[in-house]
Amino acid sequence: MICFREISELLGIKDRFAFALDALAGLLILFMIVSLFYLYVAVGARWSLVAEALFSERVIAALVVSVSSSTLVGFLAVAAVIPTAYVLTYRDFKVKSLLETLLIEFPQTFPPATVGLVYLLMLGPGSPINLAYTYWAVIIAKFYVSAPFAMSFTLRRFREIHRSGLDTIAKSLGARARHILLWILLPLSSKDLVAGFSLTWARAMGEVAATLIFAGAIPWKTEIFPAVVYLTSTESPQVALATSVIAALLSIGALLSFKWIAREKR
Amino acid sequence: MTELKVEAITKSYGKSKVLDEVSLDVHSGEFLVVMGPSGCGKTTLLLVLLGVLKPESGHVCLDGKDIDSLSIEERNFGYVPQDYGLFPHMTVFDNISFGLRVRNVPSSKVVEKVHKLLNLVDLQGLETRSPAELSGGQRQRVALARALAVEPVVLLLDEPMSNVDEATKADVRVKLKETTKRAGVTTICVLHDPFDATALGDRIAIMHAGRIIQIGTLESLLEKPKDEIVTRLLACFLQRSGEQRAPSD
Repeated sequence: MICFREISELLGIKDRFAFALDALAGLLILFMIVSLFYLYVAVGARWSLVAEALFSERVIAALVVSVSSSTLVGFLAVAAVIPTAYVLTYRDFKVKSLLETLLIEFPQTFPPATVGLVYLLMLGPGSPINLAYTYWAVIIAKFYVSAPFAMSFTLRRFREIHRSGLDTIAKSLGARARHILLWILLPLSSKDLVAGFSLTWARAMGEVAATLIFAGAIPWKTEIFPAVVYLTSTESPQVALATSVIAALLSIGALLSFKWIAREKR
Repeated sequence: MTELKVEAITKSYGKSKVLDEVSLDVHSGEFLVVMGPSGCGKTTLLLVLLGVLKPESGHVCLDGKDIDSLSIEERNFGYVPQDYGLFPHMTVFDNISFGLRVRNVPSSKVVEKVHKLLNLVDLQGLETRSPAELSGGQRQRVALARALAVEPVVLLLDEPMSNVDEATKADVRVKLKETTKRAGVTTICVLHDPFDATALGDRIAIMHAGRIIQIGTLESLLEKPKDEIVTRLLACFLQRSGEQRAPSD
């Protein structure tokens, strides 16, 4: 603390408490971005390696599988959560709170590896429907882990609109469920749907454990970007590093684009 | 035009009784003001009439028919909430035409009706504006036109003067009363300001602690107040009335 006082006096800071808050915020920011920054430091001057990795068939295949599956999961999640959020907003039933926990919070805390194992047992070899090690296994595993983000955004927004009473007014004017959903809820939630899509997409891009167990890592079919990083990290760490740089750039670029789209919709 | 009868409605939130055997008769085409202090149950009464809240006991009857089992959509009651509840993503035209489009009214008739309503509420030329570009008084009139577009059997207004600035209040009051009279709709209007209540209402229902204490015209209430609460509310009116007149005297 003496050190802190001396520093603040040296810098001529009058409000030491406000300065302490700035310092603590700075620490968290540093912690969060240091790993990303270090990634580029580690690559150093070896950018040719990144270019080489980008054009390798394995990375291109993983890129195609990762981006296409995450985008599909994003769209599927948004489409699936709209009716679910409507039901959770407007229907009252006893286990609603439990159901919400199972749909939103639980999938975010349930270990993804266990999710993969459950799906492998449920929809794997020996079960009536065998989807293991297929592209659909990638979609299912990613969907379970990442759709709660879209669910959370959409449900929160639908409830906000419900609390505002706009739907009650619409009903007093004769509106039925389809009018409330299509004319009131969806237009007023467009920004939140974009935000839900983008976070779902980002989480799906980062998902690896459930996908590896249920879908495996077959190039051009089920091998995704994080799987390449995981599988090459010991045999060829430089390829893993290069792949990570590409993944980070792609995710940051996509998230900023989604944010920009959401802002434009405001 | 429609006659509304409210029979011994009781509604509680947990242990607190918000409406305590409220009974009312609203005559056809009448403008009835429900007046009382904040928290006395005025808005809850409107929400029960609208069908949003289910009462524990009592009935709402329209022209002698019990409408308790009807949903909000089926009641065809116009409703203008305190904040007017305009759809922020729609223009004035889209807001007013909402109920007509829901009912699949042909677009030529929608345009004709919306223009008629814009004339009625004196908002011609503002149909392409968004609610954010309107003043409080203009928003109130858009909300009124939207509610009237579907030709409601009863119009429910919740504190319609609360977002109108003092400078334009007198004009807005006149316009509001004129519009509902021209539309010929039975109106129940909740207010807490005695001055607005007496200026707008054909009759005034005095409400306190979840009960309707007395109903009558201003004259009858002034002449024979039932108890101290009515006397106090009316005294408040007389004081305000005097203050309003003072500057011009």
